[in-house]
Amino acid sequence: MKLRTCLLSAALALAALPALAGTEIVVQYPYGELFNEPHKQIAAEFAKKHPDIKVTFRAPYDSYEEGTQKVLREAITKQMPDITFQGLNRVRIFVDRGIAQPLDGFIDSDKGMETEGFHQAMYDIGMQNGKVYALPFAISLPIAYYNIDLVKKAGGDPNKLPTAWEEAIELAKKIKALGPDINGVTYAWDITGNWLWQAPVFAQGGSMLNANETRVAFDGPEGQYAIKTLARLVTEAKMPNLNQPDMRAAFAAGKTGIHFTSTSDLAKVTEMVNKKFELKTSLFPGVVPEKGRLPAGGNVGIILTADPKKREAAWEVMKFWHGAEGAAIVAKTTGYMPPNRKANEVYLKDFYAENPNNYTAVKQLPILTKWYAFPGENGLKITDVIKDHLNSIVTGARAGEPDKVVVDMTADVQKLLPRK
Amino acid sequence: MADIALDRSAEVAAPPRATALERFQHHWTALALSFPALFLMVLLLIGPVVTVLIMSFTDYQLGASTVAFIGLQNYRDLFADRVFWTSLGNTLKYVAIVVPASVALGLGIALLIESGGGLRTFYRAVFFIPVMATLIAMAISWEYMLHPQFGLINLLLKAVGLAPHAWLTDPALALPTLAAIGIWQLFGFNMVLFLAGLVSIPRHLYDAAALDGAQSAWSRFWLVTWPMLGPVTMFVVIISAIRSFQVFDTVHVLTKGGPNKASEVLLYTMYSEGFEFFRSGLAAAVAVIFLVFVLTLTVIKARLIEKKVHYA
Repeated sequence: MKLRTCLLSAALALAALPALAGTEIVVQYPYGELFNEPHKQIAAEFAKKHPDIKVTFRAPYDSYEEGTQKVLREAITKQMPDITFQGLNRVRIFVDRGIAQPLDGFIDSDKGMETEGFHQAMYDIGMQNGKVYALPFAISLPIAYYNIDLVKKAGGDPNKLPTAWEEAIELAKKIKALGPDINGVTYAWDITGNWLWQAPVFAQGGSMLNANETRVAFDGPEGQYAIKTLARLVTEAKMPNLNQPDMRAAFAAGKTGIHFTSTSDLAKVTEMVNKKFELKTSLFPGVVPEKGRLPAGGNVGIILTADPKKREAAWEVMKFWHGAEGAAIVAKTTGYMPPNRKANEVYLKDFYAENPNNYTAVKQLPILTKWYAFPGENGLKITDVIKDHLNSIVTGARAGEPDKVVVDMTADVQKLLPRK
Repeated sequence: MADIALDRSAEVAAPPRATALERFQHHWTALALSFPALFLMVLLLIGPVVTVLIMSFTDYQLGASTVAFIGLQNYRDLFADRVFWTSLGNTLKYVAIVVPASVALGLGIALLIESGGGLRTFYRAVFFIPVMATLIAMAISWEYMLHPQFGLINLLLKAVGLAPHAWLTDPALALPTLAAIGIWQLFGFNMVLFLAGLVSIPRHLYDAAALDGAQSAWSRFWLVTWPMLGPVTMFVVIISAIRSFQVFDTVHVLTKGGPNKASEVLLYTMYSEGFEFFRSGLAAAVAVIFLVFVLTLTVIKARLIEKKVHYA
């Protein structure tokens, strides 16, 4: 068995080189304004090394939502691109519908993966039903942004920024007390896919559902802690009810002490702050040692083509895009972090030394976990239900009764889970 | 419906002593002649509606490779979902605000333009612009005007010493704000319809009313204009209601149904079920319910117009 796979892959590898000549691989990715540059640069590098494979791009998707819709529609009309880049929590949909092609065959037969900086955590992120269907391309993690000027004014220590929620809330209260138009804290709770709801629950070592995905698990102690923390941000730290762009604008204007959001905002925020005050990023608080995790955001590459020859070429493309060189370009041209180990440790060493704010996410890399997608046909509807419940806390309407909110939220989500 | 029409045409066309063969031939000709129209109607109108109806009884999901009939389960799920009832309630509220306001405004402005002297064409054009403009593009301008911090509307309010509002993010204000935009978009259209109605009122009725002692503007309006506008008003009300039911673009661009479903409307629910949650079967069920509402309104319109509302 083993021998046969070896022989087969060797044969494939030999056959691949001449056979790929003139193959065209069509690629489509989301958020052009963020990702045009890295894809363009990587494609230029790729063309030098692999003149036999021609990579062409389709017009970028406007958003992760649109990207998913488009591929699902194209799956019916058989017009899908060969490789698509999708939101990290969207892998499940494509696997459930039998659209994504597994990568295990390629990964197993390719001996150079490890030396190129690929590692197990990268495979885990795109794993579904025990098989790898996607590789993470650009990763974001939840982190804390501090306005160090306000922290100092409120008597906080900029060298000992909070690592627990208790400390973060205390600091936020002190900052809030500085003035009526100053916000202590803002928390981008409405990031798509319940990302910043999953983060505090996972950080406590909790999960969304139980192991065999039949029952809600966020009503346990971890979830209760998370929802009470969110409520305390509203009741104690007086968090204002703003949407994401307004939160970002307020922080950049120097009106907010602590802002919790994605690392992907770093480039934009740094530019908006423009040295008006000292900006420092730090770890997401409340991560329990050993079992605490944080959900990875960002996007993954998925191979869609089922044609064996094209898949062969598409894999070459994927390997380059997600490999050390491609990853280094991602880090330098976007606020995102590449998960590739070699890129971070070799190519980007100097970059991180010069940009310590970008390094916060890399420090959190070991506790990376999957951005969870709920199972079944109601998976995305569940996300919306949770969002509405969280909103009832953030608006202040139910901030006084987080324990009741989590009970209602559990009941509503349970109803939408697949009945096994 | 089409069959009845065909039978009748056959009867009329056939001479009294037509043989069976002739009748058959006539029948065929009629059928062949109406075939293109029938074919297109089935393909473009009836076909899709039937497909949606069938889809609403399945568990189909966008991109899924399998489909199964699940009977009325989609409707049961829908009726058990709080979001659906919020959405239906919001849609009815929206219609209840937009229809009377846009009809009254349309009529009022039509009367003013009609009674005024010069600049008629100018006013007509100005008030008709919102109807012609692409609503999506207009929605984006509205977004800037309504921005909580630097929006024109809040700046004006502050200038006169009033408190600014978060027009689109305050749950109590989101739907009324969208309704105001809806009125702005719709009244110009109603105005044009009313103008057409006003022109067709015979002048001698006003002369007769004046002879009978109706001197004031109000009595002229109440005794002549308003009754004569009956059919037009009915038409305008129904059309406005149908168009208000179809509100979607402004919701999609400005609020996405938020905050917390405060501005969720039927078509937006259909969109998010179908294209965000990919529950196509459920989205089809929403479409069917929407269709029932619009169909009811259309039937009412057809009935009333047939009766030719007339009070004169």
